[in-house]
Amino acid sequence: MASSVALSQMRSVNPALQFLKVIPGVLLLAAVGYAGKLLEANLGKYAKAHHWTFPNIEYVLWAILIGLVISNTVGIPEIFRAGVATYEFWLKAGIVLLGARFLLGDVLKLGGTSLALVGIEIVGAIAFMTFLGRAFGLKPKLTSLLAVGSAVCGVSAIIATQGAIEADDEDSSFAIAAILALGALSLFTFPLIGHTLHLSDHAYGVWSGLAVDNTAEAAAAGALYSDAAGKLAILTKTTRNALIGFVVLAYAFYWASRGQAQAVGNKAKFLWQKFPKFVLGFLLISTLATAAFFSKEQIGALANLSRWAFLLTFAGVGLRTNFRALSKQGLKPFAVGAIGEVAIAAFTLGLVLAAQRIFGW
Amino acid sequence: MSQQQEVAVTPVKKRGYSIDTWAVLLAFVLAALVRAGVFKHIPW
Repeated sequence: MASSVALSQMRSVNPALQFLKVIPGVLLLAAVGYAGKLLEANLGKYAKAHHWTFPNIEYVLWAILIGLVISNTVGIPEIFRAGVATYEFWLKAGIVLLGARFLLGDVLKLGGTSLALVGIEIVGAIAFMTFLGRAFGLKPKLTSLLAVGSAVCGVSAIIATQGAIEADDEDSSFAIAAILALGALSLFTFPLIGHTLHLSDHAYGVWSGLAVDNTAEAAAAGALYSDAAGKLAILTKTTRNALIGFVVLAYAFYWASRGQAQAVGNKAKFLWQKFPKFVLGFLLISTLATAAFFSKEQIGALANLSRWAFLLTFAGVGLRTNFRALSKQGLKPFAVGAIGEVAIAAFTLGLVLAAQRIFGW
Repeated sequence: MSQQQEVAVTPVKKRGYSIDTWAVLLAFVLAALVRAGVFKHIPW
């Protein structure tokens, strides 16, 4: 028996097998993303040649839409699932490579402004979501998960907090479903609101980074507006992600003080474990670009590599969103999430409009 | 027997880096290849 357990365990972690397992899904991500790129390039030309009036739809939206159609009609066959789940990996690699397009001085300047706005957003979002959770009678740990998910960085923050406060898996899946469903809606509503209010690329990008919870959706919502807005959405969202450890630590202390979670031993180790390492990668590549380690052509090549990585991410955002599965997760957490997200979006929009006036974005 | 199991399970526990770390490593390798001139032009 021991040997059979050992063999199955060994097999399940064989790196070569793991690698082979993700290939079909990664190819699907690439096919969906590339189809979006081809549609952007060719549909406009075709419409123009036939004198049709057709809006210019970016590859980002095409990739997401194709993914959504596949996911919500035929579904994702088992063979593709492991590879489709790698979209977050591509997102993080893309963010690190995107560092080449930022000079360190700009990162510090923009990051400093973002940090102030992010600080206000986090405090406001946690306070409001906690109030809403109590008003709706949600379980306290579910309320904590929703508050962290909407205040910091969506799914990653919920998973990190779940472990730290020893919340139920069910609470975690409720919170994740609510955050993902609302993230999907933001892809369509945010650009619409931005265009209606004639927000500048800068203001819109910062707003998306502040208000959209999951990093992939924040990047997509920004890129749907413009390339410049996409860059700023990622920078602002990365600033938010950098604070995840502190927020999770605060919640871990809170629940430990109530005797409902284990006390945190080494705080520095805890913070390091929760800190998103891709933020450091982004800063390092940005530092190298600032120090002229890369030529102009090389920076262009790195920027294009980052675009290809994001292409896979945007395809994954559509492919992993299944509205039927999300709707099964219960109405109350979704209602709390929806009301909270609308309030946070309005609050952060107010912050951004005020900053736009002050800083002249 | 239990010792056998312990030995077998050890690689699972000790296994690898987080997805973040792998993503950073891949990005650094790509950046190094671009810097070394292996990838001269990446089309978009």
